[in-house]
This record gives sequence, C-alpha cells and structure tokens, in this order.
Amino acid sequence: MLLQVENLKTHLRAGKNIVKAVDGISFHIDRGEIFCLVGESGSGKSITALSVIQLIPRDICSHPDGRIFFQCGELNGNGSGERETLDMLTLAEDKKRQVCGARIAMIFQEPMTSLNPVFTIGEQIMEVLQIHWPEMDDAEARQRAIAALEQVQIPSPEVRVDEYPHRLSGGQRQRVMIAMAMACEPDLLIADEPTTALDVTVQAEILRLMKALQARTGMSILFITHDFGVVAKMADRVAVMRRGKIVETGTLDQVLHQPKHDYTKQLLAALPENLKRQRDLQLVEIPLAQDTIETEIDEPPLIELQQLEVYFPIKKGLFRHTVDHVKAVDGVDLKIPKGQLLALVGESGCGKTTLGRAILRLVDATAGTILFNQQNITQLQRKAMIPFRRDMQIIFQDPMSSLNPRMTIVSTLIEPMAVHGIGESKDERIEIARQILQRVQLDGDHLWRYPHEFSGGQRQRIGLARALVLNPQFIVCDEVTSALDVSVQAEVLQLLMELRAEKNLTLLFITHDISVVEYISDEMAVMHGGKIVERGPTAEICRNPQQEYTQNLLSAVPRLVL
Amino acid sequence: MSNKTEAMTTETTLADEQQSSQAANRGYGAQVLREAFTQWGARLGLFWIALLAAVAVFAPMLANSHPLLVSEGSIISSPMFRYMTIGDFTLLAIFFTVVILLFVRIRFYKKVIALFATGLIATIIAFMLVSPPQLTVYDQYRAKQAAGDYDWVIHAPIPYSPKDYIRDSGDTGLEAPLKAVTPAGDASLRTHWFGTEENGSDVLSRMIHASRIALGIGFVATGIAMLIGIIIGGLMGFYSGIVDMIGMRLVEIFEAVPTLFLLLTFVAFFERSLYVMMVIIGITSWPGYARFVRAEFLRLRQQEFVQAATACGLPLRSILFRHMLPNGIAPILVAASFGVASAILAEATLSFLGLGLVDDPSWGQMLNQAVQSSTFNWWMALFPGGAIFLTVFAYNLMGEALRDAIDPNLKKSAG
Repeated sequence: MLLQVENLKTHLRAGKNIVKAVDGISFHIDRGEIFCLVGESGSGKSITALSVIQLIPRDICSHPDGRIFFQCGELNGNGSGERETLDMLTLAEDKKRQVCGARIAMIFQEPMTSLNPVFTIGEQIMEVLQIHWPEMDDAEARQRAIAALEQVQIPSPEVRVDEYPHRLSGGQRQRVMIAMAMACEPDLLIADEPTTALDVTVQAEILRLMKALQARTGMSILFITHDFGVVAKMADRVAVMRRGKIVETGTLDQVLHQPKHDYTKQLLAALPENLKRQRDLQLVEIPLAQDTIETEIDEPPLIELQQLEVYFPIKKGLFRHTVDHVKAVDGVDLKIPKGQLLALVGESGCGKTTLGRAILRLVDATAGTILFNQQNITQLQRKAMIPFRRDMQIIFQDPMSSLNPRMTIVSTLIEPMAVHGIGESKDERIEIARQILQRVQLDGDHLWRYPHEFSGGQRQRIGLARALVLNPQFIVCDEVTSALDVSVQAEVLQLLMELRAEKNLTLLFITHDISVVEYISDEMAVMHGGKIVERGPTAEICRNPQQEYTQNLLSAVPRLVL
Repeated sequence: MSNKTEAMTTETTLADEQQSSQAANRGYGAQVLREAFTQWGARLGLFWIALLAAVAVFAPMLANSHPLLVSEGSIISSPMFRYMTIGDFTLLAIFFTVVILLFVRIRFYKKVIALFATGLIATIIAFMLVSPPQLTVYDQYRAKQAAGDYDWVIHAPIPYSPKDYIRDSGDTGLEAPLKAVTPAGDASLRTHWFGTEENGSDVLSRMIHASRIALGIGFVATGIAMLIGIIIGGLMGFYSGIVDMIGMRLVEIFEAVPTLFLLLTFVAFFERSLYVMMVIIGITSWPGYARFVRAEFLRLRQQEFVQAATACGLPLRSILFRHMLPNGIAPILVAASFGVASAILAEATLSFLGLGLVDDPSWGQMLNQAVQSSTFNWWMALFPGGAIFLTVFAYNLMGEALRDAIDPNLKKSAG
C-alpha cells in the first residue's frame, strides 16, 4: 500500500467562516495503480490532492483530524533502497521538501501558467533533478532532462530542451510538466485535471502517454477529474466525491456499471451520452419535426453565409503596418433553415466563436455576406442594425462575465425591452421579465438580486432569459455548457430543448463537446482552421465521418458507453 | 450576506424605483467602500478630511472678528451674518445638501445632479440677496466693547478674522502662541492659540480659512481632471484603433507639460486667481485618469456582458455609461484620492514660492512667512506644515485603503 489516507479533514478559513473542504475521507492507493477521484466542482477533490502533497498555505488551512501515510522510497538517491512510512501531515518542513517532487510529483490543470516563462524547459527540469540529487553534475542532469523529454514524446528533444515555454503548444507544455514530474521517478504522481484545458485530440494523446508511462515505471497515479469519459479510459479504481466526502469507492467496473450510491447514479445519468437514450425514447416526436423541415425546404434559410471571412490583422513595427492576417474565419458558406438546431463543432482556435459573433455583427466581417431573412446585414451601420438585434441573440460561455455585476437582474432584463419598445410601461416590462425568469425555472423574486448571488447554472439560465426577453428567432449558443458541471449541464440543455420546441427557435450551437452535439442536434458542422470541413446530419457524421479530421476528432473523444 | 436579506425584504413589494435603487446601492462599490473603511488608517484619514471639511464650511462661525450676536441698545443683530459672503452661503448650502443626500436613497448620479443644482441655485440666490458691506472695520467691535456700548456680545470661538491685522493696536508682529500682550501689558485680553503672523493676525483663524482653499483646490482640480480623463479615456478604450492612437499622443503631450512651471508662467503673466489655478492643475493632470479609464475599457470591451449589451442593440450611451463605466470606476477613484493630495501640494508649493493668492490666507503662504522671518518662528512652520502633511497623508491613506480593497490579489481570505 503506497498511500493511505485515513479520515482526512481539511478546513479552509475564509475570513471568519470555516469551509469544510474535505470532511473525513479515507482511501488508499496501491503501488502501480491509477486511482481516480471524480466529483463536480467544489466537491473538494483538488483540496484532497493538495492536502496529500501539503501545498495549501498553513495559515488558511487546518487539519482537525486525519492522517496521510505515505510509504516513501529512497530519498536523495542514497541507494539504500529502504522504504519508510511517513505521515505527511506531521512531516517536518525540510523532510517534506525532499519528499515532494522526488517521491510525490504533481501536474496541474493549466499548462499555460504552470511553467516559468523566463527559464528554458531544460533548466526547469534540471533544477528539479539537481535539488533532489545534489551530487548530479550539469552534463548528467542535461542528459536526463533530454531523456525525460524523449520519454514524453517531445519531438527532437536535444533542440527543444533549450527552448522557452512560450514556443510550445498547450499539449506540449503539459508533456513538459509530466516530464518534469517524472524526472525523479516518483512513487506517486498526482494529476489534477491534467487534460481539462486541452482539446480532445490532445487530451487523448496525453492520456495515452500517461497510461504508457505508468505501465513502464510502475508508479501510482492519483488522477483527479470531473469527466467520466476520462475515468473510463484511465482508472483502475474510482472514488466519487461530493461535498468533501467520498460517497462511493470501488473498481472501475463496479462504479460505472453497478453504482450503489444515488449520487453516482445521478451523475452517470446526467452524462450527455446517456441523456441521448432519453431522446431515443421520444423518437415519436423527432421524425415529425424532421418531416416539417423537409416539407419547408423550399423556404429560404433564416441565416445564409456566403464566403464569410473574418481576418484579424497582425501589426508590427513603428507604424503598425499590417504584416499578416490571422484567418479566424476563412471563407465559410453556411445555410441555417428556420427552426433548425445546427451544432458547430471544433477545437479551440478553429474560429467557431468568431463565426458566431460575426453572424451577430459583434465582430466585423472582412469579406463575404451575411443574409438574415434574405436581407444583407453585412455592412449595416450600428443604428441600422438595431431592428435586427431584436431577432438575433447570443448566450455566452462564461457565466461569471456574461452578466453585468453592477446591475440587478431586473435592470439587465428590462433595458433591452425598453430599447426595442416591448411592453407599454415599466411595470409591464417587469411582469414580462418575471414570466420569462419563471420560464427558465428561476424564482420571480430573483429579479431583485445581483449576479454574484447566483450559481453558475442559475446565471446561465439568466443569460438565456436575457436572450429570450426580445423574443428572437435566432440564438447563438456559444459553448453555453462548457463551464458547468454535468448535472447542471443536463438541466440547462433540457431547458434549451424545451424552449426551442416551444418558441420554434433557430439555434447555432457552438461547442467542442461531441457528446453534447450527439444529444441535442439534428445537423452538425465541423470546423477546422477557419473552414467548415464537413456538414451533415449528426447521426450520419458520427456514425460515418468522411473527412480525416472529423475521424480523428471523433475517435479522440473519451466515451463512456454503458 | 446583506444582499440576501435585501432581496428578502423586497421580495413581496412592488417594483418601484426606490426598491431597486436601494438594492443598487449595495453593489460592488458599497462593498469596496465598506472593505476600505474597515481599515483604521482609512477611517482616520476620512475622519481628518471630514473634520477639515466641517471646519472649512463653518469657518465664519468659528473664526471671525465680527461677533456672532450683539445686543446694542436692546437691538439684537448679527454682524457675522451681515458680513457673510456669497461663497460662505454657497458652501453652507452645499454642505447641508450633502448631509441630506447622504441619508436619502436615490441613485448616485441623481445625487450628483442634485448637488450641482443646489450649488448653482444657491450661488444665484446668494448673488441676488447677499451684499456684504464693502468696508470692514474690525476694530469697531473691540472699541465699542471697551466703551461698554454693548449690552452683551457673543464672539466666535476664535474672535479674530483671518485678515484682522492687529499690528495697528501696538507693536505686534510675530508673537508665539499664548504670548500676545496688549499695550497695557494685560495678556488675558488677547488669546492667540497658535500665535500671530507678521501682520499680527491670528494664525489659527488664518489656518481655518485656508482649509477652504486647500480642500476646494483639491476637489475642483481633481474633478476637472477626472471629467476630462474619463471622457477621453473612455472614448479611446471603446473605439481603440485610430481614436486610441490620437488620444494616446494627446495624453503624451499633456503628460510632458510640467504643471508647476505652467502655473508659474500663468501666475506671472495673469492675475493670481484660485480658479485659474484649479483649471490649470485640472487640465494638466487628466492624462493619468485617461490612461486608467482606457485600460479598464479595453478590458471591459471584451467582457461578455458588454458584448451581450451590444447584441441587445442598446444605445452607445447606455453601453458606455451604464454597463462599462460603473465596472471600471474603482481604479479611478483610487487615483483620484492621490490626485487630490497632489493638487493640494501644488497649491501649497505655489503659495510657498510667493506666487499664490495675494491676500487670502493659505497654508503654503504661511510656511513662506515662517522661512522669510529672520528668527525661527516655530509656530508659523509647525501648524501649517502639519496641516498640509496631515491632509495629504489622510488622502493617501484613503487612496491606499481603496486600492487594497479593489485588488483581488491582496484579499486575505482564502478563495
């Protein structure tokens, strides 16, 4: 048994309040196994990891109870090979420094900020090595750093070792982080959401790499994630966390296929790939909807894009002359018929968000035309756009920044109504706002509150309400569920589907999450490098993708098929 | 959280303006203020400024050679009231408006409008009604009192006007605190708590009246600078591109102008006027505010709620001033409290160099007197110098507390 956590409690002090972030959990990790800790945001899974490696500042946290036993291998490379059992909570500071990095290593979620930008990656790996093996000389450390980079499959590591982090992509940086963590051949690797910030194809590569390294070196991994797809790929054993407690522990098979606890069952049921089954049950309705679309196929599309291009200039030099362009959207032709839900899928940086904003004229198009109801809105001035604004709305990804923090919900909702002349008087507008708020399953009294009083899911509903007050025909949903936990995501998606059916909305649903696409959409378009590479009915594309890019993308998605 | 109780109290009531604004006052700004003024430094600073403001407003009642009330042949009159100037009345009116507005719950911008309106109306009314006598003979009261013409007299706590030069009543120039004597050798008749200056006028009285200039120049100059800075900076930040480039060059030009030398030049060529000083300090110190606003607006422009406001087709005015400005104002307030301090210092410097106002008392000019005399008159250096120090220090304390309050990185509590 490598790591044994017994009744661990971690309390965080926030002002005068004490948050019981981890509230009495016990688990163990054996040598050579991958242990996954799953939970939604705020469940205390990251705090558990930080408690194990003792990275939380002492002045804000306390451990009223619990013990963490770590069976530590040799330290300082003295070759004695003896193992000692340490209690991480009572370990002296200097001893802890020897253990951390050498015997327990950690990789973090955000690869963009976890490397120091002023040192080369080689220097950063060598520093770790020389701290834990003080007798190691520079040449040997360098050799080992190159070997570590080679191990994580960085191409031409002899050259790359002297490069600075900004020259590397996100996936490569995460590889460097893994190389750094692995350099001292630790007994335990703690990975805190290591692939959450990465695209699916990169995620698949990193997961494969971690699995291979684990198999080769025989280390154990404490893998923290919120994504059951990743769990299914990685874990030997799984623990499900909720509100600082572990509700269920077991082998991968047990937890996924015979979940005992209600919460685990709920989580699994909320996964979009399982929600899809619910839609299959309603098959009676779906063909009807498709029929109507087919009969109305002669009707002109609501949105039509012709060779739309959005370029951002790259300016250089004293006079800021334009040297090149970033082609965010590079010649897109797209038709969205009335009442359709078109899902736009792509990895980060493919231009899908820019495309969505360009349709709403929030970003100016460089070339091409945008037709809304067959009217050309590409060049309209600010004032002339106002009547169209009523019919086209947008919902954003980030529930934190999409609402004005200084305005009450009621002001946010009634101001657009006043501009577009909806409702006779202020009281009437407030009444409309109240009804819409109730429609998105919020309390009418929430009108008088401020955004910071709501949870992420509630804010996303308010964002939806703001889009709905103008009674639009077309809504761009820009990654609306990416920042939400799975169970909240399921609720928001279901609400969106209901509203769509009720108001006959046309939706452009922008997302990177294929499983969500499969759940909600009839049609999908795959975007890559500013262009649309494939478009067609969702079921068909998912079953039989034609383009190579789509094939790669779909095969990289971690799925949990129950 | 108090917001929750707020929502609870309002949940059954109707949607009138009063309620929603009541909640609006508990927003981010109130939170920042509450956090800033829980620090004792900021509280101390605020206390000093409030004390100074009160002293400045009630200066005629606190330090005046004109008695507050006299009874002369059983006719009761108030010479103090008769000699009050237009400025005195306007200040009083503004002060009471501020006090009332502090307790009234309306939107902040309405308060500002109400304040300006009362200021303007009070000035106009005072212009029409108030006409203090041109000639003032301060000695008449002392003479009459000595002659026993008054039944009774109520003097101000400091019975000397700032320009009541007592040099005529004897060989009285610079006198140390509480050392003044009458020609008859009777020390009990004349009490100067802070001593007298070279013309024999009371130092404490001059300091009380000088606090008006210090506060006035600080607030007005900073107000002008903020107004220009917010407008130009806001336009630069929102439009960016060519507007931003031209605006930044303008900012750089104005940053290159040395305020003090411009002031010296103006004072040398034109009349010495407080208002000219305010305007010059104002129009040379806006670039700092413009930079702050520009940076905030550049950041906010990308925020999704601003994009959403654009997507809703809201007018530009609403996007700029309702959605963006309230979210970007906090750093500007911090800069403003430092700006007030530096405006006060600029005026003190100018007066110290002997280029300030001619006749009106000012702290810097009093320091100048302390230096010019052949002997070291400690009371002439200590009291005005201390006042300048304390005021600038108070503004800096408040500025730092505000800066800490809006800086999320300095939050002590765990996330």
